[in-house]
Amino acid sequence: MSLLTLEGVTVRFGGVHAVRNVSMAVEQGEIRGLIGPNGAGKTSMINVITGMVPCTAGSIRFRDQEISRAPAHEIARLGIGRTFQHVEIFSDQTVVENVLTGMSRHLPHGFWASALSLPRARHGERAARLAAEELLEAFDLTQYRDVLAGDLPFGVLKRLDLARALAARPLLLLLDEPTSGMSEVGALQAIETARTLARNHGISLFVIEHNMRVIMSLADTITVLDYGEKIAEGSPAAIQDDQAVIDAYLGANADA
Amino acid sequence: MRSMWTARLAWLLAIPLLAVLPLALDGYQIYIVTLVLVNVVVAVGLNLLTGNAGQISLCHASFMAIGAYTTTLLMTNLGVPFLVALPTGGVAAAVLGGVLALAAIRLSGFYLALATLGFLEVTQIAIEEFGWLTGGVRGLMAPRPTIVGGIDLGSDLHLYYAVLIVTLFLVWVAYNLLESPVGRAFNAVRVSAAAVQTLGVSPARTKLTAFALAAFYAGIGGGLAGILAGFIDPTEYGTAATLRHITFIVLGGIGSLVGSIVGATVLTLLPEVLRGAAEYGDLFYAALLLGSLILMPKGLVGLVSHWTRRGPVLSEDVTPAQDREPAR
Amino acid sequence: MSFDIVVQLLFSGLSVGSIYALVALSLVIPFKASGILNFGQGEMLLLGAYVALALSLAGLPYWLVMVLTLLISAALGAVIERVLMRPLVNAPEFTIVIGTYAIGLIIKYAMRLYWQDDVYRLPVPFSSQPWVIGTLRINPVYAWMLVVALLITAALALFFQRSRLGKAMRAVSQNQQASRLMGIGVERIFSATFALSTALGALVGILFAPVAGIHPELGNVILKAFVAAVIGGFTSLPGAVVGGLLLGVVETFAGAFFGSTLRNVGAFAILILILLVRPNGLFGTIESRRV
Repeated sequence: MSLLTLEGVTVRFGGVHAVRNVSMAVEQGEIRGLIGPNGAGKTSMINVITGMVPCTAGSIRFRDQEISRAPAHEIARLGIGRTFQHVEIFSDQTVVENVLTGMSRHLPHGFWASALSLPRARHGERAARLAAEELLEAFDLTQYRDVLAGDLPFGVLKRLDLARALAARPLLLLLDEPTSGMSEVGALQAIETARTLARNHGISLFVIEHNMRVIMSLADTITVLDYGEKIAEGSPAAIQDDQAVIDAYLGANADA
Repeated sequence: MRSMWTARLAWLLAIPLLAVLPLALDGYQIYIVTLVLVNVVVAVGLNLLTGNAGQISLCHASFMAIGAYTTTLLMTNLGVPFLVALPTGGVAAAVLGGVLALAAIRLSGFYLALATLGFLEVTQIAIEEFGWLTGGVRGLMAPRPTIVGGIDLGSDLHLYYAVLIVTLFLVWVAYNLLESPVGRAFNAVRVSAAAVQTLGVSPARTKLTAFALAAFYAGIGGGLAGILAGFIDPTEYGTAATLRHITFIVLGGIGSLVGSIVGATVLTLLPEVLRGAAEYGDLFYAALLLGSLILMPKGLVGLVSHWTRRGPVLSEDVTPAQDREPAR
Repeated sequence: MSFDIVVQLLFSGLSVGSIYALVALSLVIPFKASGILNFGQGEMLLLGAYVALALSLAGLPYWLVMVLTLLISAALGAVIERVLMRPLVNAPEFTIVIGTYAIGLIIKYAMRLYWQDDVYRLPVPFSSQPWVIGTLRINPVYAWMLVVALLITAALALFFQRSRLGKAMRAVSQNQQASRLMGIGVERIFSATFALSTALGALVGILFAPVAGIHPELGNVILKAFVAAVIGGFTSLPGAVVGGLLLGVVETFAGAFFGSTLRNVGAFAILILILLVRPNGLFGTIESRRV
């Protein structure tokens, strides 16, 4: 059983087909890349998988459970996480608070325990903070721990977005252009961190990327979209030589 | 984490101070500080909802009214003891807060403000309609009860201590919640409901919790306000009250627990200090609200923290090279 | 129920509804242009009423009072917009709601300081003796409200369709960015729409005053106008008119059948129901934040 299976998924807004009859399967432990020219429907793919836009037709199954009609927060609870191209961090909270919010679904203390500061809540918070510190450490964010997220440069926020998403301990993490806005150095570092964490914790990755160098070295398999349709799928080497892919990129005059 | 020791210190100082305070005051002054405590409860509740969870509510006063009438009617009509009647008033308000939340879940901004305004009006009308129960426009007498152990709350001093205990407890709970997943969810939903969903938090449930919580606080505040004044006046739960409550949190510092305490305290004491300007009171409040909104968007608390700014400030030398914005 | 009574109620309903419609228009026009929903609009109405009162007490005839009040109100509206509303244009919704609410209250309390809670009567040049047509008794004041409202609505429709300023307003409410690029002074349009909306509010104040009397709580009719605007869908001018008339009629009939208190609850129940079920009202479209 594949971790994530898409069958004939179509996403339509008004008259526009953002995603057209796409089928694919992501396996456990895999790092999948998703590439394609601008406007190919890549972000819509992430949006429909995470339940943020409605799935017009088709089926999406995660660990053999149908999620195409499920509400977004339910999908997240099942173990799918994501980052955002334009980082949707909580600008009014500090860096550590952002990461702690990421952990919400795993914390043992609910409303009443928290309200009355029961031992379970106090222990839970302490454990959570320790775990958060580790995550900050891994992403080189410790120095920004108590800084308001809204005050930070974009590159740092990208790392925070990733750290926060990982805090939720997803089984499948969807990354929407994780290296955009980062310097070359920062990008490679972030990707290495992601790959290490993924391998160590058994998280599968699904990565949208424009940076070819990054995705070719990171992904096990790459799926290519153009105009909402899947036009190729295979190993990085195979994709680089695929005529359809080359045509799509040259034809669309996109950056690569 | 950063404010934990300041918080501990604040508690350590405040509690004994508040405990001995009334011994130095006369009857009327005790009434005023009791009123401050009640307003603190109301303000803290509203701030959790509007300041933290970001839900505009123009009907906080309605929940106070529900609490006031429920508490008093349970005591006078059914002989329910105060210690049961008061929380019941809070729960009744919370239930209605939950109902309103069902509307809030779909709405935001202007539409939500309108819905709450409608709710405010409906409550006022309901109070009149059910006059046989509520006493309608003539109001309702709210006599001071006696509680377990024969403690007579008719004594201003006893009432003060009872209210103090309730206030300290509710502020403590608010503080706990803010430093917990619940509080973080509130703040997160306000900024980005989209992101919060991807972390497994349901914005709908969060809003529901926020509304019910705020309504509970208002209900308790209302129940206490009723017996403090000895009388429930329905005109006290309309737009003028809404204005006051919002001014509490805006002036103090929206989103800040300390801010709502400061705002409620300052604005309750201010009319006492500025005697003889009673006519100008409402006008002054409105002007103060507008002024705070435009000139002091982070409230009094924001002003203070601005002057005493410490903590990491980002500068070129501190930020590592790879984190700086790429040159364009 | 007899035909006469139905017609009677219908007429009353439409008259009251026309008031709601005008106030709703005065809410929706600046909202469409600048994205600011003025929660203090009721007090613009109040302002107009008191200005009219002052002019009237100074001995001026009704027609002159009306014209002058409209001009003065428009001017005041433009000033208030420039000074108090402009800073709110791209502010978060909470700030707009509370800010405009506060501005309204400042106006109300300022008026109350001077005029107190007394209820004043605005002298009108026709008697309040009902006209009797067959078995119908028509209150001239109500007839006047209805006629003026219809004329104004027609005039506004023409204004938006034909005049340069009207078309510019429509352009700005559809797309600020594009309007700017086409050389339309967007800020000037904000002032103009607000002046228009204040003048409308003042007009309503004048029309409504003989019915309700002039007193500081006159602005509360805004709540009904909100309901009307929501029914019509906030982004639609014809919708606001239809919403207002509909509300007036439904309210009047409800009041006749169920008594006056329920009539008010009905209005707000409708508000909450529509917001829950169909926030876009009858004619509205999905609102997107102004760019």
